[in-house]
Amino acid sequence: MRKYTFGGGIHPLSDKHEGKAPTRMREITDFAPDQVTIPMDMHLGAPSVPIVAKGDYVKLGQVIATAAGPRGIPVHASVSGTVSDVGLRQLAGRVPSMTIVIDNDHKDDWVELTKVGGVEDAPKDQIIPAIQQAGICGLGGACFPTHAKMIIPEGKHVDTLIINGAECETFLTSDFRLMVEHPERIIQGTRLAMRAMDIDRAIIGIEDNKPEAIEAMSKAVHGHQGIEVAVLKTKYPQGGERYIISALLKREVPSGGLPLDVHVVVLNVGTVAAISDAVLEGSPLITRIVTVTGVVQNPSNLRVRVGTSIKDAVEFCGGYTEPPARIFYGGSMTGIAVPEDSFPITKANNGVVVLGEKQVTDYKESPCIRCGRCVRACPTRLNPFQIKDVLDNMDDLDGAEKLHITDCCVCGACSYVCPARRTLSASIKAGRDVILARRMAK
Amino acid sequence: MKLRVAAAPHLVTRESTRMLMLDVLIALLPTTAAGIYLFGLRAAWVLCASVVAAVVSEFLWQKLMKRPVRVGDLSAVVTGLILGLNLPSTVPLWIPVLGSAMAIILVKELFGGIGHNFMNPAMFARAFLLASFPARMIVFALPERLLGASQALSGVDAVASATPLVMQGNWSYMDLLLGNIPGTIGEVSKIAILIGFLYLLFVGTIRWEIPVLFAGSTALLSWIVGADPLAAVLSGGVLFGAVFMATDYATSPVYTAGKCIYAIGCGIMVVVIRQYGNYPEGVTFAILLMNCVTPLLDRFTVRRVYGTVKKHA
Repeated sequence: MRKYTFGGGIHPLSDKHEGKAPTRMREITDFAPDQVTIPMDMHLGAPSVPIVAKGDYVKLGQVIATAAGPRGIPVHASVSGTVSDVGLRQLAGRVPSMTIVIDNDHKDDWVELTKVGGVEDAPKDQIIPAIQQAGICGLGGACFPTHAKMIIPEGKHVDTLIINGAECETFLTSDFRLMVEHPERIIQGTRLAMRAMDIDRAIIGIEDNKPEAIEAMSKAVHGHQGIEVAVLKTKYPQGGERYIISALLKREVPSGGLPLDVHVVVLNVGTVAAISDAVLEGSPLITRIVTVTGVVQNPSNLRVRVGTSIKDAVEFCGGYTEPPARIFYGGSMTGIAVPEDSFPITKANNGVVVLGEKQVTDYKESPCIRCGRCVRACPTRLNPFQIKDVLDNMDDLDGAEKLHITDCCVCGACSYVCPARRTLSASIKAGRDVILARRMAK
Repeated sequence: MKLRVAAAPHLVTRESTRMLMLDVLIALLPTTAAGIYLFGLRAAWVLCASVVAAVVSEFLWQKLMKRPVRVGDLSAVVTGLILGLNLPSTVPLWIPVLGSAMAIILVKELFGGIGHNFMNPAMFARAFLLASFPARMIVFALPERLLGASQALSGVDAVASATPLVMQGNWSYMDLLLGNIPGTIGEVSKIAILIGFLYLLFVGTIRWEIPVLFAGSTALLSWIVGADPLAAVLSGGVLFGAVFMATDYATSPVYTAGKCIYAIGCGIMVVVIRQYGNYPEGVTFAILLMNCVTPLLDRFTVRRVYGTVKKHA
């Protein structure tokens, strides 16, 4: 079988099965906590606007915040019960987030749902609005509002829909479990997305370290014209939008451009499954599958209610096996570390990884020895050590810009391979953000 | 609960600077052992002197300059050992001591320490010693094993001799391969060097381009100018230089295209110096020269960034 791949990249934790072994055979289990904390800024873009107040009773799936503008998405109650707080909270974002806290009455008292239609008979022009109303954003981690991605601007032409099932990040098996357990929902969502955008061809890309998912998806696509499964070589960051496009189609998204510019839309497997639920059942995005692993008693794949705290999820998995030293959302390559475990799991979080004291090392940077490992690891073909040099020694933003710092996708591959433990990726991200802010100001 | 927050990635490779240097030392073991076996205890003393001098001068310099002491990264050990292996076993011990101190202080530390030197420290030191004390630097011992144990035991210094590059044709390929030839401590046993090369490739410390293209271009060019290509690679310091010195991270190009040009440049320079220069051997000068071209090569072989159209650097 032909296997697709891209240039550069690394094999993180390849001697430890990418950290996926403890959870890859764990079936998805439902979990609803006693209380959920739902931030209004889970998605990329303007935060949603709360329309409930403290003391209100909300039904499961009820809209509790409306979309801010046409590119925004609403937020729904992920449990039924009483709103116990609406207010600002400092979460993992840069500024405090508006959050709605709901106490769960465990009745799962659903709001009335209206379905749009079947896979082949749902009216085309109602699919994308339904996706927006369901509050769907990219579940691969970026959390860009999905409907906004699917509205093809005038003059643009899309010929291929890529369904991203690469799941190249370490530790995560949530997409894998979804593909193994619910391949039909992914196919239904894919068909709906293809119809909504008038695309004839869809490719589901899966890394070759997930043979069960490849098998399940291949079986499910059988008889579906225009949808195919493509096997990708296991390499990080294969699941990055730009790299899955160049691997499968040999097209490069232009610098500063979008996949649309090369006639492609990329959606995560979890996202298309949510599309299927939204259109076929009218059900909003109130749960997400999250891999909870690391130093926890029973590493698991949970379908949690949006807003479940890390603490509750870990306790449901049997608690910590040793005092946690670091907890992060997502995998170890790009995961965002949290200062406390009361933080909620949002639509964007595909994993919660807990590391013990032994696994967390505070590395000390030593001088670059020019070994070139970061250069070979960079999927964007940048020179990370040179960019960091320019930033560190000369504080030279213009110099860094000339070295294409803004093309960095912050995959972390350079930092991972650096034998001198240089914080390449973090420094480059910091410099990149300053430059992007400077451009915005101009 | 006390959680420590940090930027991703949260887990990184186990490979460290010290591990990479340790791998080079492991790869140098066969060469070192062969050198001591062939040239006797005298060779061991030379190697000891150069390693100790390299480490001590790095330590003292960093203390004196109030910089963080980094001898733990083992890079000074590598520099010292490589310099020692580049010397004949006959040199007085002050030669390796002087050479190592120069390599570490003048070439490495004064230019900013590890990773910042623009010339290979051991190579520069050897070139300096060669230019300053030619009489001591080109007197090569014949391997003791070649002369027989009796003479070695008698304590008489082995007969001074020129390297096979000067006296071509007197040695069989087997002698060249095993190291039964006069030469510096480390360069003679090609088998030992090749074992080290395979180890470095296997553990991923170096890549194949520089050693293979360096040796390959030397052979090809020697053949073109009418010399024996196999003897050209197996005699002198080509293999040792190609595997252990031209591959030095700090002084060789970063991009693959640059590495290839650099390696072929080394090969061309070696043959040019050997055939048309006054020195019988040109590996040291070839590598030093190409070291100086490295920044230029890094500039002109920049890769096209994903999603951009290639511009001129």
